[in-house]
Amino acid sequence: MHSTCALPRKSGELVFHNEWERRAFAIVVSLAAQGQLKWSDFQQQLIECISDAERDDPRNPSRGYYESWLASLEELLRKKQLVEQLAHVAREA
Amino acid sequence: MNEHDHDHDHQAPASPYHRSDRPAEQDKALAERVARIESLLIAKGLVDKGALDRLIEIYEQDIGPMNGAKVVARAWLDPAYKQRLLNNATAAIAELGFGGLQGEHMVVVENTPQIHNVIVCTLCSCYPWPVLGLPPTWYKDAAYRSRVVIDPRSVLTELGTTLDDNVEVRVWDSSAEIRYLVLPERPAGTAHLNEDQLTELIDRDCMIGVTKVRVS
Repeated sequence: MHSTCALPRKSGELVFHNEWERRAFAIVVSLAAQGQLKWSDFQQQLIECISDAERDDPRNPSRGYYESWLASLEELLRKKQLVEQLAHVAREA
Repeated sequence: MNEHDHDHDHQAPASPYHRSDRPAEQDKALAERVARIESLLIAKGLVDKGALDRLIEIYEQDIGPMNGAKVVARAWLDPAYKQRLLNNATAAIAELGFGGLQGEHMVVVENTPQIHNVIVCTLCSCYPWPVLGLPPTWYKDAAYRSRVVIDPRSVLTELGTTLDDNVEVRVWDSSAEIRYLVLPERPAGTAHLNEDQLTELIDRDCMIGVTKVRVS
């Protein structure tokens, strides 16, 4: 686990707080850059996930930003059937 | 706002998106979900681990607001470049070597003494990556996303930017394809500065439009 002082910053703010955030980000960008998923499809999914997380209380979303990002990636992979194994995994809350 | 933010004067409430206080078990579960996806995608040949590592490096180190600062400084010094920037931002930004994902449809909006522009993505977090890097946590918060379209003056005041009543505030929502960049006003007292020195004055927040450029 990285200590926070080891994580890089731009404009004085951490870009990523965890290694998993970093990997989740890179996976989406890589798939989009290679054309395996359309950015607009991911964006639409992210909008839905964020809206869902903020539904009860926008100031206290049920998921953090990168958790919504990850949930969106999983949902898109399921929908596009890019990874069959995910279809059999129960959706995370 | 987290305590590592050195370029903000304001004190925003702790962001729910800043989850460094997440319990260890939750982090572990999230890490496992990501690792599972990564290994499945690698096994299918859809992603390459080295390419992922390189992408992370690029977005943590190579891409950031220093890119946008160069665009702004060039526009301040070169009126012809500024005109090209306002007419076709994507092409003008590409002249300086910046472009790519999330910068395919750039529009630059110019601040003047009469007009102050500010950028938001109301629905998620759309942001002009090639010139500003990845967005700060407050930009992604529901508080900013909803309030800045309803009451931009209050949000700006809270972030340290008080505008005269006669200044028009324009809020640009990046939720569709277009990504916006604010061209801030060049402050007085900078006529003697060269391009590199001007670049150092220009930070991320003034290109989002929540602050003005200050001469330190």
